[in-house]
Amino acid sequence: MQIKINIKDKIRDYILQSTFDDVKNVMDETLIFEEGVLDSMGLLFLIEFLKEEFNITTNDEELVVENFQSINNITAFVENKM
Amino acid sequence: METTIRKPFSKDILQIENIEIVCNEIISKLKNDVTRKLQRRGAVIGISGGIDSSVCMALSAKAFGSKNVTAIMLPEQDSNDDSRVLAEKLASKFGITDLLLENITNALDGFGCYKRRDEAIARVISDFDPAVDKAKIEIKQNAASNLPPAFSVTVIKPNGEIISKLLPVKEYLQIVASTNFKQRSRMSMLYYHAERLHYAVIGTPNKHEVEQGFFVKHGDGGADVMPIGHLYKTQVYQLAKHLGVPQEIIDRTPTTDTYTAEQTQEDFFYQMPFEQMDLIWYGWENNYPANEVGNVMNKTTQDIENIYRNFERKRKTTEYLRMRPIF
Repeated sequence: MQIKINIKDKIRDYILQSTFDDVKNVMDETLIFEEGVLDSMGLLFLIEFLKEEFNITTNDEELVVENFQSINNITAFVENKM
Repeated sequence: METTIRKPFSKDILQIENIEIVCNEIISKLKNDVTRKLQRRGAVIGISGGIDSSVCMALSAKAFGSKNVTAIMLPEQDSNDDSRVLAEKLASKFGITDLLLENITNALDGFGCYKRRDEAIARVISDFDPAVDKAKIEIKQNAASNLPPAFSVTVIKPNGEIISKLLPVKEYLQIVASTNFKQRSRMSMLYYHAERLHYAVIGTPNKHEVEQGFFVKHGDGGADVMPIGHLYKTQVYQLAKHLGVPQEIIDRTPTTDTYTAEQTQEDFFYQMPFEQMDLIWYGWENNYPANEVGNVMNKTTQDIENIYRNFERKRKTTEYLRMRPIF
């Protein structure tokens, strides 16, 4: 449980720091691409962050909305890959 | 109160009804922009053998007279050899006698364009051999996907084996930054000739390239006028037919002519055929409901909504390319 929270916190912190966004604008279920929190370059930098932070390599076929649309989804994706 | 009844969405909605009038308006505006606003006495245009530069050259020949147009082929080591033959045919068709060949390979070598690009590819695909392998970058996702696109690098070995991997951000940026030397070197050469002749540089991007950001800032986006910057690609084809652009050019699949492997513009950037993209873009730009567009295009409402979002995203994320310096 603690690990799960840490993963989510790290992902949230990364998104907030990289976008200079206000914490109240980005909830765990916010659709980060639909809402314009991250753009296409933001997605690429996020993939790099997942690799550096969690040693997760993302493949072409994993680039689907179910894995990346929100902090909750990204967290679940990371947990499944670890 | 006056109300405007909007045309129902249809596959013919982008058809230009009076092509002659539209061509004459573009020609007249081009002439006025170059000779009056910019105070230049002719046009320099880079020709690739593609449809957009061909139409711009034809329009320029009509606007300024063929003797006041300088057409320049700007190949480099990765360019397709067919382009030269087509460019010569095009120039001859429109009576352009000042057709120059400027090979920019040495300039690109000097910038380290090929070396920097190949280093980045080799970091992702370790057995990449630029001497014999061909490479390109492409988007593999469907445009109706609800995620922004991500690029993959594809290497084709001499035996036909294909190796493809998702590009990490650093390598993606390095490949794009390296290959952008090509468009920027071409721009420098076009301005050399434009200044030498006191001519204007004619930019060839069409509406999609301008608005979706499919151009290089200070590269092919560096020009004085863009006579087809407001036209959809299918309309550019309509103009090409009307102006008498050679059929071989009209029939060619649009490519980027930037990477060593064959690469269509659809693979590289647009993620769908032009005929579809034009219509859906028109629907999006003119606020047609997704279900109305979907019915005509044989797509689901959800697909059209996702494509609308994809367009919105591309326009927004490429805003930087269209911005002037801020001061």
